Amino acid sequence: MSDESKRREESAGLMEYSVENLVPFGPIHPALKEPEYFKLILEGEKIVQVIPRIGYVHRGLEKAAESRPWVQNMYMFERTCGICSFVHSLCYGQAVEGLTIYEVPRRAKYIRLIISELERIHSHLLWVGLMGHWAGFETLFMWVWNDREVILDLVEAISGNRVHKSMNAFCGVRRDMPENIEDRIVERMKFITDRAHYYREIIDTEETMLARTENVGNKINQETAQKLCAVGPMARYVGLRQDVRLNDPYAAYDEVPFDIVTRTEGDVRALLRLRLDELVVSANMISYAVKHLPEGPIRVKIAPIIPAGEHSSHCEAPRGEIFYYVKSTGGRTPDRVKSRQPTMANIPTALELLKGQTLADVPMVLTAIDPCFGCMDRMSFLDMESHKQWTWSGEQLRQYGIKHYFPDRFNSSNSSKFRRAD
Amino acid sequence: MSEELLEQLQTYASQSNSKLSIPRKDETIIEVNQDHIKEFISHVVNDLKIVHLATITGLDLGENIGIIYHFSRDKNTIYVRSTVPKTQSTAVSIVDIIPGAILYEMEIHDLFGVTFAGNPWINQKLLLPDNWPDDLPPPLLKTTKPAEIRKRLHLEVERK
Repeated sequence: MSDESKRREESAGLMEYSVENLVPFGPIHPALKEPEYFKLILEGEKIVQVIPRIGYVHRGLEKAAESRPWVQNMYMFERTCGICSFVHSLCYGQAVEGLTIYEVPRRAKYIRLIISELERIHSHLLWVGLMGHWAGFETLFMWVWNDREVILDLVEAISGNRVHKSMNAFCGVRRDMPENIEDRIVERMKFITDRAHYYREIIDTEETMLARTENVGNKINQETAQKLCAVGPMARYVGLRQDVRLNDPYAAYDEVPFDIVTRTEGDVRALLRLRLDELVVSANMISYAVKHLPEGPIRVKIAPIIPAGEHSSHCEAPRGEIFYYVKSTGGRTPDRVKSRQPTMANIPTALELLKGQTLADVPMVLTAIDPCFGCMDRMSFLDMESHKQWTWSGEQLRQYGIKHYFPDRFNSSNSSKFRRAD
Repeated sequence: MSEELLEQLQTYASQSNSKLSIPRKDETIIEVNQDHIKEFISHVVNDLKIVHLATITGLDLGENIGIIYHFSRDKNTIYVRSTVPKTQSTAVSIVDIIPGAILYEMEIHDLFGVTFAGNPWINQKLLLPDNWPDDLPPPLLKTTKPAEIRKRLHLEVERK
């Protein structure tokens, strides 16, 4: 038997298994977390293979875009994500602007940068809080999410909304910065910088975070990360200098001084350190941008019909590079829009990071890629040694992980919840 | 794009009879035949060290399905384009050169029905619902109407 046909047969066997073991539609709690389904194949406690199944919230936006006007699509794509919403409309907008002859005014470029960076800070804070939650350090979660409100208030003051800012328009932004907000922003950025330094101290010294993050995650080298198409923090934490803001500056990133953060430890704690350091970088950029905000118009009005052609654009979202490709035939609606989100690019890396890890580390490693909430509600397990299968909810998995590392935190009356369902 | 890089791309393109065009600054489009696609991408990744594959896009071009591999390095964007006929939509998988392409190929398989020979997970569903009818054409083809998808999927639910 040739290698090729042997491999196909093996994968076919695996596939049959996954079909048998698929949890039917229904393990989803859209109100709180986004559903992603990972099937873990275990050997005792160790993970040997991970098979992903995504698409539970696939809404067919690319198909919908083909029947909607160009402008309407911008606000539809903003609804792709409830955390990094602005960067989607920015990236789609840039791809379309590339097909027109108009230039974006300089003041609009600065406002775009300010909103993008505010979004990065609130997304990173949200993630740090979630890491605390999954690690069993609820106080960190409460603190960080409280600090995040500072940013959301600023976003509301600038755009009028906390989540979907709807700030972007083709060749400009829809709203100008409010008057006399400069001092307030600079003061809040100083607060965020102080808090970032404080959290940095916590993750380097606090017992819970040390135990749950140090040397957790299968270490990968730079070449592997590149071949697995890792983007954003997942590429930078192994030392790659990969950041769209630096490599291919858009908005006002070529005028604002900054340097990206990279790390080389290669474990989950490196990701925590990296994202906390990025908070400081972003805060400095925002302070600089509001102080040097140029005068002038914020928008150029363009015709609703976009000339024929094709163009692509990429931006650095909080989770990594996002990518939009648009194709126009010169009509009122696009012929094709392709959008690729950073989580999609980072899933192969996450699967690699999980290999050889224990079951208790799964929540930490999967959350570490910042998978747009990393919902692990309902995971099915298969033990290769005993051939047992069972299913856990995300909360059960979280508690199993905490108990594995800190057994004395639970009394015996609770422990029946963590027994394998056999 | 630096002249040296462009020259090397030109050489590899002429080796495989591919057409190279530069529609705007920093953007290069290379049309490669399916027979040479693996060889060409291996040159781009291993020899030119343009390693970052942003994504793979599928396109409905009427009789054919277009596949675009978006590579980027710094400010340079390289589109490697290829087509497969709709009647026999089998393309060559590049997962042994770029393992990270596995999900992108599965996505195109779900949305355009292109099979990638050599991708171990290609027959698994990635994005489409489990109750997607087998006889319904892939959703992103222009001939598939959203109303039809809604009707068919709704019927599937009612029958249960």
